[in-house]
Amino acid sequence: MSNPVESPVVGTVWKIEKAVGDTVEIGDVVMILESMKMEIPVEADDDGTIESLSVSEGDSVSEGDTLATIA
Amino acid sequence: MSEPESWEPELEELSRREALAEEMGGTEKVSRQHGRGKLDVRQRIEKLIDAGSFHEIGKTAGTATYDEHGELITFSPANFVFGRATIDSRPVVIAGDDFTVRGGAADASIVEKQIAAEAMAGELGLPIVRLLDGTGGGGSVKTLDPEHDAGPNGGYGRGLRTYVPANPAWDHVVANLSRVPVVSLCLGPVAGLGAARAVTSHFSVMIEGLSQLFVAGPVVVNRLGGEQVTKESLGGSRVHTRNGAIDVEVKSEDEAFAAARRFLSYLPSRVGELPPRIEPADDPERTAPELRVAIPRDRRKVYKMRPIIESVVDEGSFFEMGRFHGRSLITGLARLDGWPVALMAGDSYHYGGGWTTATAQKATRFVDLAETFRLPVVHLVDNPGFVIGSDNEAAAAIRHGSHALAAIYQSTIPWCSVLVRKVFGVAGAGHSNAHRWQHRYAWPSGDWGSLPVEGGVEAAYTRELEASDDPDALLEEITDRLNQVRNPFRTADAFLVEEIVDPARTRPLLCEFANLVAPLRDRDTASSPYRP
Repeated sequence: MSNPVESPVVGTVWKIEKAVGDTVEIGDVVMILESMKMEIPVEADDDGTIESLSVSEGDSVSEGDTLATIA
Repeated sequence: MSEPESWEPELEELSRREALAEEMGGTEKVSRQHGRGKLDVRQRIEKLIDAGSFHEIGKTAGTATYDEHGELITFSPANFVFGRATIDSRPVVIAGDDFTVRGGAADASIVEKQIAAEAMAGELGLPIVRLLDGTGGGGSVKTLDPEHDAGPNGGYGRGLRTYVPANPAWDHVVANLSRVPVVSLCLGPVAGLGAARAVTSHFSVMIEGLSQLFVAGPVVVNRLGGEQVTKESLGGSRVHTRNGAIDVEVKSEDEAFAAARRFLSYLPSRVGELPPRIEPADDPERTAPELRVAIPRDRRKVYKMRPIIESVVDEGSFFEMGRFHGRSLITGLARLDGWPVALMAGDSYHYGGGWTTATAQKATRFVDLAETFRLPVVHLVDNPGFVIGSDNEAAAAIRHGSHALAAIYQSTIPWCSVLVRKVFGVAGAGHSNAHRWQHRYAWPSGDWGSLPVEGGVEAAYTRELEASDDPDALLEEITDRLNQVRNPFRTADAFLVEEIVDPARTRPLLCEFANLVAPLRDRDTASSPYRP
């Protein structure tokens, strides 16, 4: 079963820190968004492996968008 | 002299009827309930309360049939169990739905029991804990069916007919929000009237995978709604703890009972009584040197607020509510030198702490809770303002934000603000009522203004930037110039902020506040009735 990593904010994707296939633990930063002039880290909510990334650096995202999945 | 005549036969009959009530919906229905991984209502009550403290009321009320001699043939108890009990030795009212009797629906309920439970809580000034499972006495079209045994409430004994709906006990359900603490635990699927009872409370809990909440369930939605849903996708705990309908998500019934007991431990038993202090287990003078490095100097970087909260309150006393909703504001109950307080704090991980519609709704409800039960507010402020952009305009952030500002300005409870970092704009200005005595401290990391220099420059110097040959260089030049005065000491020079303090000393200052204002908590009564 895979779990989505959802965007906590409306913003843009500033820096993607993990690649598909990387192992992550809860609390690891998957990517950094920019919102309200700040760098907002998006952390893994689950232990596992990055199964997919659905955004690229520079993309605009809305709150609740799936940014990646962890399997 | 003859022996006095005994009432022993009646006492035996009473015992027999009580035993029948304890069978609930019968062996098969009760084991089906257990098979779903759920406790039955009587097990739930025992696990929630102090052992052996339940005093049940109306235990033998239900649907009875009699033979021609007036002897009881069958008995099915009403699907609502209530009474008084104690939690941590303090009296409470417990009101539990029994899903094993017709799924908790109206056709097997005796609505007067629900009314009595709510009325008792309100009149005796006792907190009420609702254990919800099913429709909570809500409607069923079966009550219209001549071929269905509608029981004594098939139209409250007035025959088959439709009725203009009126929500039973609702006068008490609403009034209790301004009288006593109300806790709702969703312990199964909770629909319709049950769902409305769940959220008409000060604190509500759902269990992952076990409880769902909806206006109408998947069977109805999938037939009529033009979408296909499961009970989890429609109304699981993930949905409702993110949208703010429910405060807390837990993993088991035991955790739900523990959450209810913990919530009540911070509150008085009723409005008019003051929240109870416990013997403090932590040193009020304890300093926290780690707070001197808690805030990054780079203004673009975020930091974790929860460890800051943990280091200023009494050790282990922070009880967060609503973690997954309106996430740029953290809200919860805590203790300072043993005194219960309502604590709110900005979370820079979400919009840098900026307020959305959801944040504003969360703030309003939380401040109203503090006001209703006279919990002094401590606000660790980091708020860059309302979140900007189309999404928030579309969501009427300004209306909901102004609603929150009104709640803050209407509150009369003692209030202490610690300006941890950003305070900008209308939302930042609402960190407290600026026209009251400002019991306020600022950390050296404080950064404030009408709007941040970043973004503000472009708005204020539009013409200059447009006329420039090198707008980027001009932007940098102006920004540097303005940033030179962006210094909290200049603000303190003008007494526009009262005190800049060593962050390490925050806890002693907050404990002093809690002790100073404890005698003042009853000075005013709540300014307006609490709404869900």
